[in-house]
Amino acid sequence: MNWKKFFFAFLAAFVFLFVFGFLWYATLMHDAHREVPTLLRPEADLKSYFGWLAVGHLVMAFFFTVLCARCIPTGGAGAGATLGILVGLVYAGPHLISFAVQPLTFKILFGWIAGAVIQFTIAGAIVGAIYKPAAANIMYVKERLR
Amino acid sequence: MKRFIIAFFAAYIFLFVWSWLLNGVVLKDVYAETPNLWRTQSEMMALFHWIILGQALVVFSFVMIYATGFAGGGGIAGIRLGLLLEIAAIGMRLGFYAVQPIPGKLILYGSISGIIEMVIVGAMVGRIYKPASARKP
Repeated sequence: MNWKKFFFAFLAAFVFLFVFGFLWYATLMHDAHREVPTLLRPEADLKSYFGWLAVGHLVMAFFFTVLCARCIPTGGAGAGATLGILVGLVYAGPHLISFAVQPLTFKILFGWIAGAVIQFTIAGAIVGAIYKPAAANIMYVKERLR
Repeated sequence: MKRFIIAFFAAYIFLFVWSWLLNGVVLKDVYAETPNLWRTQSEMMALFHWIILGQALVVFSFVMIYATGFAGGGGIAGIRLGLLLEIAAIGMRLGFYAVQPIPGKLILYGSISGIIEMVIVGAMVGRIYKPASARKP
């Protein structure tokens, strides 16, 4: 593992996930969310839970970066974006389940699904573009066969 | 492709049964403490196909990620993938906890069961799915 590049990739992923989340879910989808007020904490309470939101994004960004580093060891924005789409779909599944068990609207459901896929696709591209393994750790197939 | 389909169905059946046991039986009373957060039983049954679709999407994407980046690593690689995805999902769950009045114990139980679930799903997919080049003729 190239820890220096990993750290920068993780930091960039965290900043992106957090900013995108704020823009997409808290700003763009604000009115859609307010259509079902019982599902959300009152706006006055949100500040006291902000720490959980920050910790959640840190955990998400860290393990997503680890996943990218393990799954696409040679890096690259394209490969990262492809992995990001799949990860976004893994997390879109629970949104479909939430729709069946919670009184969400279609607008919220599609907003969450689109948000997850776009968010992780771009985050994957960012991590893929930044993270590259240390040259000494790259082993090519030909070398392995010798 | 054949092994991909078998891995998908095996993991899907496990996930379906596990989720039903956990959410429909074990945690039933915990969910009942916050009725305003959930649809009524009849509404849930009418929307049941969304649950099937959602679980299928989770398993399909999981097997795709395994097949593209972890294949050949066996059960251990599958478990590793399951852990990485689930711990990142715990982060997402904490985000939901910050904005939705979901009881903390539901987040805790959901996270613990999620880790167990994804470890088992990963082990199953890793044991079943093998890339064509790794198989014996």
